[in-house]
Amino acid sequence: MSIEDIRKILTSHDYIPDDAIVMSVFLSIRLSKPLLIEGPAGVGKTEIAKVLSEGLSAELIRLQCYEGLDAGHALYEWNYQRQLLYLKIMEREGASREALEDEIFSEKFLLKRPLLEAISKEKSPVLLIDEIDRADEEFESFLLELLSDWQISIPEVGTIKARNIPYVLLTGNRTRELSEALRRRCLYLWIDYPSLEKEIQILRRKVPEIDTALAAEIAAFMHEIRQMRLEKTPGVAESIDWGRALAELHIDHLDRSLIENTLGVVLKDWQDVRRATDSLSELLEKTGIKSKIG
Amino acid sequence: MDAEYPQDIIRQTSISGHLVLFSRFLRSRGYTLSLLDEADALKGLQAIGIRSARSYFMVLRTIYANNPWQYAEFEGLYREFLYELKRAYNDKVKKQYHRSTQKKPSRQRSLEALKDWLFNRPAQEESVMGSYDPIESLVYKDFSMMTPDEVTYILRLLETLARRLKHRKSRLNKRSVKRRRLDIRMTMRSNFRRGSEVGRWIYSERKPKKMRIVLLCDVSRSMDLYSRFFIQMLYAFQTGYDRIHTFVFSTALFDITAILAHHNFNRAFEIIGQRIPQWSGGTRIGNCLQNFIDENGYSMLNRKTTVLILSDGWDTGSPGLLGDAMRRINKSSRKVIWLNPLAGNPSYEPDTMGMVEALPYIDVFAPVHNLESLRKAMKAL
Repeated sequence: MSIEDIRKILTSHDYIPDDAIVMSVFLSIRLSKPLLIEGPAGVGKTEIAKVLSEGLSAELIRLQCYEGLDAGHALYEWNYQRQLLYLKIMEREGASREALEDEIFSEKFLLKRPLLEAISKEKSPVLLIDEIDRADEEFESFLLELLSDWQISIPEVGTIKARNIPYVLLTGNRTRELSEALRRRCLYLWIDYPSLEKEIQILRRKVPEIDTALAAEIAAFMHEIRQMRLEKTPGVAESIDWGRALAELHIDHLDRSLIENTLGVVLKDWQDVRRATDSLSELLEKTGIKSKIG
Repeated sequence: MDAEYPQDIIRQTSISGHLVLFSRFLRSRGYTLSLLDEADALKGLQAIGIRSARSYFMVLRTIYANNPWQYAEFEGLYREFLYELKRAYNDKVKKQYHRSTQKKPSRQRSLEALKDWLFNRPAQEESVMGSYDPIESLVYKDFSMMTPDEVTYILRLLETLARRLKHRKSRLNKRSVKRRRLDIRMTMRSNFRRGSEVGRWIYSERKPKKMRIVLLCDVSRSMDLYSRFFIQMLYAFQTGYDRIHTFVFSTALFDITAILAHHNFNRAFEIIGQRIPQWSGGTRIGNCLQNFIDENGYSMLNRKTTVLILSDGWDTGSPGLLGDAMRRINKSSRKVIWLNPLAGNPSYEPDTMGMVEALPYIDVFAPVHNLESLRKAMKAL
C-alpha cells in the first residue's frame, strides 16, 4: 500500500486530509505502530478511524475511555454466571474435578472486551481508543504491554499473542497530560483547526446541497470566531452542523439576524454566546458579510 | 515486534548519517530519542522513498515529536539544524587554513557536537556530576535571587508535588471496579436478596479528593521581582494538577488557564505578556476580585474549592471593595490562602490598607519567598 492509496481512501470517504495526516496514517500502518492523535475538540480525530475502517474494509472496534475504566471492561472478564450454571449442571452429571477445572477457565467462558477482541481477530481490525486522556493513569500504563508487544497476559489462560496486529488509533484532547511512556510508543499527530480553504472544501463535501457562497461565508465566520477568547471554541463538527441546518432552511447567505438566531448551533456556552453577540458587528465586518438593515 | 531491520538500513549511508546527526541535535534540545526511534525513522523513510526535503521532514516529525509543542516547534528546529550544519561545515573549511585561531569557549553546545562529528572526534558524552543534594542550599534562598537552573529544579519539584496532590485520597470510600479491596459489608447486603449464596463481590476504594484550586496571581509592578517566577510556578503546577483555574490580575483580571494548558512555557509567557497590556502596571486587587466573583463565583467556587491568592496586598483601588470581595470568596469556598512574598521579611506587618481589609477573611496567611515557605504553604492545601 502506498501513500497515494491512503490519500485515496481518505478522500473517497469524504475526509479531506492534509499531507501530515496522510503521512502519519501511512507510517502508522507501515511501521505497525499506534498513532496518537491530539487536537482541539471537533476537528475530526475520531473520524479518521471511522473512515480508515471503511476504506480498509476492516472492522472498527471502539473503546471509549472514561474515568474508572479498568482492565475488566477493556480486556476480558470471566462469564461468572455461566461458569456457575455450568458447574451445577456438570455436578449433576458427575463430571470429574480436573476436567471441570480445565473446562471452566477455557475460552468459552471468557467475555472478550474490545482490546482482547481486537488482537484475536482473523483480519486486522481498526482499534480506536477514544479520549484516552479521560482514563486513569493506571489504565494508561496497563495499555503499554498491549501497544508495544501486542500481547495480553491472562493469569488463568496464559499469554495471548495477537494473531494480527490491529491498526491502533488513540485520540485525546489534552484534558490531562499523557505519560511519556505512552507517548514514546506512539507516532504523533496534531490536528489543528483547518485553514479557510480546507474548511470550505469540507463543508461542500459533507453538505453537498449547500450553496457555494454560503459555505465560504460560514467558513470565514467560523475562522474569525475561533480567534476570539471563548470558553469552548467551536470545531469543524459545529460548522458542518450549522451548514446543514442552514442548507435545510434553503438559505443562501448569512446576515445579522440569521446569525443571531442560529448562533446556538455553533456556540454551546451562554457566556460565549453573549460575547459573540456583543462583538457581532466587528465579526461581520471582518468576514465581509453585509448586514441587512431594516 | 523485534527490531529486525533489513540489511540496507544498517549500512551507513549519507542519509542515515544525516539522520543520526539530526537526532543528536534534537537530544541536545531535550528530546528523548532511543535507537529504536532512529531505526523507525529510517524504516519510515525507506517506506516512503524520499521524494522531497518536505517529506523527509514530515516523516521525522511524525516519529520524533511527542506532544503539541514539539510538533509545533519541529519545523523551526529542523531549519536551525540545517543552518548549523552549514555553519559547522564552513567552520571546518576555514579551520584548514587558519589552524592557529582559537575557538571561543562560549559557542553553542550543539554546534560543538556537530563539529565533533565532522572532525571525526569521538563524542564526549555528558559527564556525570558529583552528587550532592542541591535542595539543601536552595531551601532558604529567596526566589528573586535564583539562577535559571535552580528555578528549573524547583519547578520540577513543584510538578511532582502537584502530581502527588492530584492523587490524594479522601477518607470516604466508594464502590470500585478495581478488584483490590473487598467491601464485605456491601457484599453481604447486596447478596441478601438472593438468599444465602454469595455470588457477587463488591469492592471499594478510597474516593479521590476532588479538590479544586483557583489560583489568582498578582502581576503588578510591585510584584515584578516575583511574577515571572510565579507564572512559571503556576505553569508547573498546572501541568501536574488538572482541576485548577489560573488567573492573573493587575488592573484587570485574565483567565490564563487555557494559555498555560496549550503552550510550552516560553510561548505561554509571551502570549500572556501580549494579551495583558497592564503587565507590571498598578494594582486594583479589590476590583479584580470583585470581577472574579461576579463572573466566575458560581461556576468555580464551591465547598471543594481552595482559593490561592499570590499578592503583596498593595491595593490602589477604592477602599472597601477588597474586603467585600474577600468576604464573598471566603463564604463560598473551602479555604482561602493568601501567599505574600513580602511576609518573609521578619519585620513585615500586614498593615497595608488592602491587607488589613482582607485579613479577617483569610484562612491561611503565609509568606512565600523561598522553597521552605512554599513547601509549608502547600501543606496548608
